Amino acid sequence: MNTATHEIETIAFRRTRSTYGLVLLGFGLFIFLVFGLNTPAGVFTTFGTNLAGSQAITISDLVVPSQATIFAMAAIAAFFGAFQLARGIRSTGWLAGVIAITFIVSFLTWAAADKSFNLTGMLSSSLVRATPIALAALCGVISERSAVINIGIEGIMLLSAQVAVVTATVIGNSYLGLVCAILFGGLVAAFHAWLVIRFKVDQVVSGVAINIVGAGVTAFISSRFLAANINGLNNAAVFPTISIPLLSQIPILGPVLFENNIIVFLTILLVLALHILLFYTPWGLRTRAVGEHPKAADTLGVNVFFVRYVNVILGGMIAGLGGAYFTIGSVGRFDEMMTAGKGFIGLAAMIFGKWNPLGAYTSSMIFGFADSLQVKLQILRTPIPSEFLLMAPYLITMLVLTGVIGRAIPPAADGQPYEKQ
Amino acid sequence: MKKLYGIVGLLVVFSLALTACGGGGGGAFKVGLVTDMGGIDDKSFNATAYAGVEKAIAELGVEGKYLESTQQSDYAKNLQQVLDEETNVIVTVGFLLGVDTATAAKANPDQNFAIVDYAYPDCWPGAVEGKECGSATELPNVLGLTFATDQAAFLAGYAAAASTQTGKVATFGGINIPTVTIFMKGFEAGVKYYNQQKGANVELLGWNTAANEGSFTGNFDSLDDGRSFAESFVQEGADIIMPVAGPVGLGSAAYCKETSACKIVGVDTDWTVSAAEYTDIILTSVIKNMDVAVFDAIKAAKEGTFKGGVYVGTLPNNGVALAKVAGATAELTAELEAIKAALIDGSLTVDSMLK
Repeated sequence: MNTATHEIETIAFRRTRSTYGLVLLGFGLFIFLVFGLNTPAGVFTTFGTNLAGSQAITISDLVVPSQATIFAMAAIAAFFGAFQLARGIRSTGWLAGVIAITFIVSFLTWAAADKSFNLTGMLSSSLVRATPIALAALCGVISERSAVINIGIEGIMLLSAQVAVVTATVIGNSYLGLVCAILFGGLVAAFHAWLVIRFKVDQVVSGVAINIVGAGVTAFISSRFLAANINGLNNAAVFPTISIPLLSQIPILGPVLFENNIIVFLTILLVLALHILLFYTPWGLRTRAVGEHPKAADTLGVNVFFVRYVNVILGGMIAGLGGAYFTIGSVGRFDEMMTAGKGFIGLAAMIFGKWNPLGAYTSSMIFGFADSLQVKLQILRTPIPSEFLLMAPYLITMLVLTGVIGRAIPPAADGQPYEKQ
Repeated sequence: MKKLYGIVGLLVVFSLALTACGGGGGGAFKVGLVTDMGGIDDKSFNATAYAGVEKAIAELGVEGKYLESTQQSDYAKNLQQVLDEETNVIVTVGFLLGVDTATAAKANPDQNFAIVDYAYPDCWPGAVEGKECGSATELPNVLGLTFATDQAAFLAGYAAAASTQTGKVATFGGINIPTVTIFMKGFEAGVKYYNQQKGANVELLGWNTAANEGSFTGNFDSLDDGRSFAESFVQEGADIIMPVAGPVGLGSAAYCKETSACKIVGVDTDWTVSAAEYTDIILTSVIKNMDVAVFDAIKAAKEGTFKGGVYVGTLPNNGVALAKVAGATAELTAELEAIKAALIDGSLTVDSMLK
């Protein structure tokens, strides 16, 4: 019996081993044929490492011979493939990492052959572009962990984006605008919670209603009031960039991680805080219990309704912060539909991140990275059509996450109203 | 419980109504306008077209209404709604409404239509009428209002090339459609002409006519995209950017204002007027006088002289124009005047520069 199981395992392991090995070998060949042979010899690729206006110590740009770099990447992929076939590495994460890195490096080297390309700029904008998606995802994580689906995130963000810019303009202080946006996000979420917990309204219906109401109300206010008085209502100061002393002087890492506006920093702190809260505190345990098995939690004296209210409202406040990003965190003005579906992408990031704050943030980062990569590639004018590049963030995320992360299982009671007996 | 569904339902209906709301006025002559995506107050495309209707409300005493489209599937629905209101003239705004407008015009041959940025016949061999293109023949009840925007954009490209400090200028669009890329083509031609005349080597990022490819945000809504594109262009060395993406361009303007790292070339309207808060960083604007064309179409309809066909706004008829160039030297102003004259008399053409 024992030997049989062992044998089955070994066969399965061998099969994955050879599949991954062959994939990597194929990848190496692909990089060699597609990127390597299409890059002229003797040409250099320049990766810019300095960002104008940043505090970082200036270092020289990274200049690499294009073709040699691509061939090296192909060799690395092929080497790992051969090693995998011969010996086997158990960690699929490692293999996926090799695929991702060799592909991205050779792709960029090929795309920017004989041109220059600001690497630091791309990484820095990845983090910024991931921020609203991450906040939407975090909102989803904490309300769904307590089993309340909130697909109204897009609507909440749109509403708080408008609240943020109007209050910031009227009061003349963006930080107060941020507070108002967060509170307003919480308020809308409280309404959602009230409908779905107290009255057991279908959670999806209520969420859709929030999205439609959000789009309608903001469009109405925008065209009726904001358009007529832009300077008095819709022209707020954008948050200044905060440079963390010393750390921001590190080349490349400094401008990417330590020179951002308050919303980006708050997002990183929130991710860590939520992770600790959810997995290492009694509150987190209760939340998860309510999401997995509310009846058991109730039996043990946890107030299911209270936990759900708190989580949904907290989630709404996080979405409110995400809404503020669009106006006072980015452009200082509101325009109709300006969230452009980021709330929905956030929901996808939540699922890909397996309802886990760190996972959700990682998925958002992949979206953000693919998004800023796409912008850069459009500027570099690769032979790839722009329409295809615009799909890239979604394609890459789907590939990476389905290939590496595997199945995502939602909290068991997700979406079900709780009936006290 | 049932009541609550009712309340939610009512809220939904209420806000749907808000999304697509209109203005009113006195008089029996009715004008209905259907916008493209981006909203009525997008500071460019829809706003300028509606300004023509507003002018007609004020000067001709007509009754004007608009319906906003928030997605492409709204076009046909909104058109039907305006048709049901029995308006005298229906103005549709935008290239993307081309097919739906033709379908509606053919179904209602007595109804007058004016469509901004489009003209019929628009079918190419093999295209399916009513699906891929609007109409294979000219429609007697539709006036297509088109604009030779590339002529004005040519001047903007020249002005930008003459004003850049870094030797790089940039442009990006919302979607790769002809009414957007015509700006970018003209801009490219202007930059090339400057290089040819001055022996300079100003580089254009974000568009290449020969490849018919460039940078596009893929939407006309996300200002954050506009900011991100501007930031990337600046990182790659550009200091003058022309965003052809409606309100998305305001995101770029916000970035330039915040960092003072770039200047913006506005499109559709004079941005120093329509987006006055960004005046400091606006180099110039490629003006497309859609309001004038829309107003003239409404006026003709009211006076009973409306005729289908094609109107082309050009530099000589003031359908398109270049706004004042900020900080232009007397030399540049004179050169721009000379180029404008050459473009008008045909001794210089946009196409000739793109070969």
